[in-house]
Amino acid sequence: MLAEESIALIKEKAAKYPERKSAILPALTVAYRQVGHLNDELYSEISEIIRVPAVEIAEAATFYTMFPKHPVGKYLIQVCHNISCALLGADSLIGYLEEKLEIKKGETTSDNLFTLVTVECLGSCCTAPMMQINQDYYENLTRERVDEILEELRTRA
Amino acid sequence: MAEAVTKKAPSNKATVTLTIDGRSVTVDKGTTVLEAARSLGIHVPTFCWHPKLKSVGSCRMCYVEIEKMPKLQVSCATEAMDGMVVATDSDLVKQGRRAVIEFILMNHPLDCPTCDQGGECQLQDLTFAHAIDDSRFAFQKERFVEDGSVSTFDDVQIGPEIMLNRNRCIQCYKCVRANKEAFGEFDLGAFERGNITEINAAPGRQVDNPFSGNLAEICPVGALTGMDWRYKIRVWLTKTVSSICPFTASGVNTLMYMDETKNRIYRTTSRRNDEIDDGWLSNVSRYAYQVVHADDRLLTPFIRRDGKQVEATWDEALDLIAKRLSDIQDQKGCVCIGGLVSPRLDNATLYGFNKLMRHVIGTNNVDYRTEYRMLPQTPEDHYQAACSQPIRISDVDDSDVIVVFGSDMLKEHPNLYLRIRKAFNFGAARIFILNPYSTKASDVAELEMVYHAGMDEVALGAVCLTAVEKGIVSSDETDRLREAIAFDSASAAALACGLEPDHLELMARAMAEARKVTFLAGEIISRSREREPIAAAICNLNRLFSINTKGQFGILPGHSNSRGAHHLGLAPDPPASIKAKLRSLWGQYPDTETNTTDSMMVQMRKEEIDGLIIMGANPVMLYPDRAFARESLEKLDFLVVSDLFETETTELADVVLPLSSWAEYTGDYVNLEGRVQTASKAIHPIGDSRPGYAIVEAIADRLENTLYTAEDYRRDEIDTMLEVDTACPVPNLYVPSKGGQDEDDAEYPIALMIGDDPHHRGHYTEKSASLTSHVGEAYLELSPDLAAGHEIKEGDSVRIESPVGKVVLPARISEHIRNDIVFVPRNFPSAPVTSLLMRKRRIDRVRISKVVR
Amino acid sequence: MSFYSPVRTNASEVAESDRLHLLKYAEDPNQCSIDTYVQRGGYGAWRKALTSMKPEEVITAIKDSGLRGRGGAGFPTGMKWGFVPKDSPKPRYLICNADESEPGTCKDRVIMERDPHAMIEGMAIAAYAIGSHLMFVYIRGEFAHCADQVEKAMNEAYAQGQLGKNIHGSGYDLDMIVHTGGGAYICGEETALLNSLEGLRGMSRIRPPFPAVAGLYGCPTIVNNVESLASVPHIINRGADWYRSLGTEKSAGSKLFSLSGHIKQPGNYEVELGFSLKTLIYDPKYGGGILDDKKLKGVIPGGASTPLLTPDMIEVGLDYESLPEKGSMLGSGAVIVFHEETCIVWVIQRLIHFFRHESCGKCTPCHEGTAWLEKLINRVESGKGEEGDIEKIDDICSNILGRTVCPLGDAAVMPIQSAIELYRDEWEHHIRHGKCLVKSQFGLK
Ligand SMILES: Cc1cc2nc3c(=O)[nH]c(=O)nc-3n(C[C@H](O)[C@H](O)[C@H](O)COP(=O)(O)O)c2cc1C
Ligand code: SF4
Ligand code: FES
Repeated sequence: MLAEESIALIKEKAAKYPERKSAILPALTVAYRQVGHLNDELYSEISEIIRVPAVEIAEAATFYTMFPKHPVGKYLIQVCHNISCALLGADSLIGYLEEKLEIKKGETTSDNLFTLVTVECLGSCCTAPMMQINQDYYENLTRERVDEILEELRTRA
Repeated sequence: MAEAVTKKAPSNKATVTLTIDGRSVTVDKGTTVLEAARSLGIHVPTFCWHPKLKSVGSCRMCYVEIEKMPKLQVSCATEAMDGMVVATDSDLVKQGRRAVIEFILMNHPLDCPTCDQGGECQLQDLTFAHAIDDSRFAFQKERFVEDGSVSTFDDVQIGPEIMLNRNRCIQCYKCVRANKEAFGEFDLGAFERGNITEINAAPGRQVDNPFSGNLAEICPVGALTGMDWRYKIRVWLTKTVSSICPFTASGVNTLMYMDETKNRIYRTTSRRNDEIDDGWLSNVSRYAYQVVHADDRLLTPFIRRDGKQVEATWDEALDLIAKRLSDIQDQKGCVCIGGLVSPRLDNATLYGFNKLMRHVIGTNNVDYRTEYRMLPQTPEDHYQAACSQPIRISDVDDSDVIVVFGSDMLKEHPNLYLRIRKAFNFGAARIFILNPYSTKASDVAELEMVYHAGMDEVALGAVCLTAVEKGIVSSDETDRLREAIAFDSASAAALACGLEPDHLELMARAMAEARKVTFLAGEIISRSREREPIAAAICNLNRLFSINTKGQFGILPGHSNSRGAHHLGLAPDPPASIKAKLRSLWGQYPDTETNTTDSMMVQMRKEEIDGLIIMGANPVMLYPDRAFARESLEKLDFLVVSDLFETETTELADVVLPLSSWAEYTGDYVNLEGRVQTASKAIHPIGDSRPGYAIVEAIADRLENTLYTAEDYRRDEIDTMLEVDTACPVPNLYVPSKGGQDEDDAEYPIALMIGDDPHHRGHYTEKSASLTSHVGEAYLELSPDLAAGHEIKEGDSVRIESPVGKVVLPARISEHIRNDIVFVPRNFPSAPVTSLLMRKRRIDRVRISKVVR
Repeated sequence: MSFYSPVRTNASEVAESDRLHLLKYAEDPNQCSIDTYVQRGGYGAWRKALTSMKPEEVITAIKDSGLRGRGGAGFPTGMKWGFVPKDSPKPRYLICNADESEPGTCKDRVIMERDPHAMIEGMAIAAYAIGSHLMFVYIRGEFAHCADQVEKAMNEAYAQGQLGKNIHGSGYDLDMIVHTGGGAYICGEETALLNSLEGLRGMSRIRPPFPAVAGLYGCPTIVNNVESLASVPHIINRGADWYRSLGTEKSAGSKLFSLSGHIKQPGNYEVELGFSLKTLIYDPKYGGGILDDKKLKGVIPGGASTPLLTPDMIEVGLDYESLPEKGSMLGSGAVIVFHEETCIVWVIQRLIHFFRHESCGKCTPCHEGTAWLEKLINRVESGKGEEGDIEKIDDICSNILGRTVCPLGDAAVMPIQSAIELYRDEWEHHIRHGKCLVKSQFGLK
């Protein structure tokens, strides 16, 4: 399932570390960015590439929360609901997104475009409320801004 | 009790003195407060601590209070320091521990009535000890339920013998840590995080590694339980009996749990002995007890009448044996009788067997090495020397260089294998492996050197030459060494056996610079027809690097009482010192011709040997030339075989005698270190079976020559035999080490290696259901490239042909094996691999092809 | 991707100051390019250290400067470097901790986004001081854009010979690896970070051994925060005495503060240590007062794991000594402000949810205790609390405090205990009346 480029990238990254295992997180990151989520198959693929037992890769992968372990929509909307964002209305923002996307948090839209989840503090507290969509940060959010962003993503898709 | 070989390890470590609960104690520097307390007999409770794993300090149960430290400290991870004042039972400590138990119980299902850990659950015991009778936690407990599960108890079977209940898990991580850290296995993991962390099998895998049984044993609660014992009996209804593992040459210490009323053993756990096993059991050691209760045990004697074996009484059987043996003796002479015995049997049996054969009957046709090909008839000097060197298992721990030569440690000596891993993990030992095929230990090896099959002595010679040429060691006998090795240069020798000169240099340097070397050779060497030159090469290596003066070296014996068999004189031509002792004990020693298993078989074919007694051995299955062994035994006039089961060999017998297993009588065994250990009687003999010593004594009685005139004499005579003057001396000059080579045969290009499967040992373990649930049939292990070349995929049926035989086995593709070699386990009667072997060959060669349906 | 957070800073003030320095070029995107950075004197400290100072001299300078760790614990940086055993045959490693996950904190990010070379230069000097030839920056995985920015800067530094082999002809080799995390607050804790960097689950390790003795791959390792390291070049350039003259007697230097929550002008502000918290909140140069001019209810002064302050406590210097006198801590410098319409139980509920979610699962009091606390606090917040719950919560906190492997346990319970102590009436109201005092007071839903 991993593309040639992904494999090459993983190998390139892995080569830098003094010990092979250190390549686990970089490899998971590459795999997740290519596939959109992680699963057992990817763990064994990575295991072969970096020559680390698959279980160690699965153990690490399930420890970290940034990588979805099941398929998600094309855009993974991660809204921070930690304190600084919450003080500035993260909850109502989440409610608004649920309404607009017609899904509950944790769900994916039927067109497989959006998945909505909440996350812990993303280090964007002074520009709260905020969300991250795939790798990109969206800060100082308002409802209007959210409308724009979703619109833009829809047209881009 | 006599310890046959003693070797003292001096301890001159720095110490510290501290006070625990008002008592002063002095311990080695580096000891934890927990261990210091335990050395005073003060019990500090623990969950996550394990004496053989690195401390992680995670459960927080082992709190103590230490003066000048404001917070509670975890004693398992706090090093004892001079002048520390420790309290293990202050109010604060008690409060801290109670809080930990309260936290653990929060999400614990408290399903004790249906939990199989009951009676030996640390959580249950500690909850009780801390008088906790109520919970302040008033919420729904977190619960793991398998998707689509209908199980009431949330159990999931994660391996052939392991049941997991995640809800009971207290996240001590001992299982995962032991599996990775101690065993080097990766079939179990911890997933997710925080309080929903879950222990489970690795994705898509079963927890079935050769040490997996330990996981259930070390789990402090009922999260991991063993399938063999589950819901069969409550622990408090059993009695424990000390035993030792009959399948390991180290004599791993065990405890058997038995029910007296049912005369049944229910399980085996470790009886930790740090000198030998560190408290770990391989699955073979753990599940071996099931052999005892296999339902096809021989229960009565059988006698062949009109070509058929029919049940008989002991009296009938013994009378017949006495009559037939006397007849042969009278008509043809005592040299026409021989005896083969298994080196797994206890001292009393082995010694009695020897005395019966040599003293009562008067023959020198005695051997205990029935699985070897073409042994020389005379004492093998260098082989004997290399085999008898003192080895101390615990000396592996602080060796800084460990060399494994010609041995698959995991399969042959599982606890030594773990020891080597430990030396690597804790002592940072450098490990070198020299083998004709890659083995599992390679993951801790600095270097694994795989040489062409059959080039064993050349490989060692290459190491020696490299050391000399590179000036790594200096020797004024270099010429003599060169001459002995019969190769001109290191590079020529390296080339001949397919090794990299650089690698040899690295290993030579490591051995030369090491503070303490352990050099271990094993089965792959012992089984070769060229044992003698290989042993000579080992002796030369030892001499060049002075291994025995700064460490230890030797060829490890293969079976649980091989050392005993040697000391008790069961070799065809034992060393002079042993013969002298026997002569003085018996007043005589036969001076007839000596014969090995092989030469006895040759004589049987010539009808020069007519009668044979076999005890516990199964040459038809295990002698490396099955047809030869069978045809030889078929020629006999009279064959007596005593065994636990009907075997390929008992089938040919005129009299079959049911033998009791090691669990059915008390017996002593000499482990590979020369340590004498006792396996106590756990249950009464099954059926009408009898212990081996009782059988040989009964035969002697019938021959009107009582072995011992008083009960004590048996013990005294054996003790005398075991008081041995340690090892055979190693040669004090370099000795020739050139072996012979087989001619190439283009038709059969692939070397065949046979050995044990990690889950089986010899021909008994197939009777253990727990072991066959791990590996139930033979297989052919081959490299991915070799498989691809023959269009073979995992699981395909493969025909393996040698010039003398053919078997068909499923393929198992392994990264660990070279393209010019295949491996087949010898443990399965249904796959008679010995039928492919030829006794005059050094290396057996085969060809393979995919079976197309 | 060159992404730039729209966060407000006091860069212009810093540019005019002779004392502040970290944010001097924070509003100039060119600062990210190595040419600009070097033009402005960048990598001068690195060259100076490498070519004219012995490693011990660098350590002494940092010791003398009084620099203390900016990652939260405030440990004296020079002293930490001095712990690396001199005679160890093993390689040594320097790790820059850019995990920045403490709720309320977004200051390291500004450095990585806007002045990445300052961090790299500081890392290089630190690596040299401890004799390391390989250094890592561990950036939280979500900060993909920071990782890109830093990687770009790193490549520039290699290209210019600031990193690599035989740097500036000194014979010194130094390599750098940018490593990204996978989403786990605990990986900011230095021992968990080490495990994570080794490819393992990010679980904390027991100490001793301390990382300086046995850290990454069992080798001596120094872990420092981004801001701590970014301060190092300035110290080497301008001298320990200069740095020591900033801030207060015991808290030398300047520091970034992330001001967030109910504040008119949230942002990252550099001020000298000892600066008044009240000024930071109300001065138009900084926070500019409470949002909608409401009344201040409380402040979390140093990130989610520090005890709360009530309005009467905010006349306090932001430094390592003054805050503890008020029962709190400087922490990571994340000042979270909330106004009168905020329910304290709700605030705590957010925090405990976070800590429970982020507990690594290693030690019993932490993984079980935080889960229990979350359940109890949820119950109180929702109005279903029972008499005795407050005492129970407080008692569970005591069973966690000081009893865990790493400080996450303490971090989780300190704000709770302070919130109970300082705002007990609100907790009681939730329990006695089954509803929120604040909501009733302000007629909120
Ligand atoms: C739970 C926890 C989270 C932490 N997170 C961070 C972090 O995100 N960034 C950081 O620099 N330090 C963090 N720390 C502090 C580090 O453990 C460590 O003390 C620091 O990186 C040392 O750098 P300094 O001395 O320069 O401050 C955290 C500590 C704890 C206990
Ligand atoms: S399954 Fe047992 S041994 Fe493994 S972590 Fe849980 S309680 Fe410990
Ligand atoms: S036994 Fe010490 S913390 Fe678990």
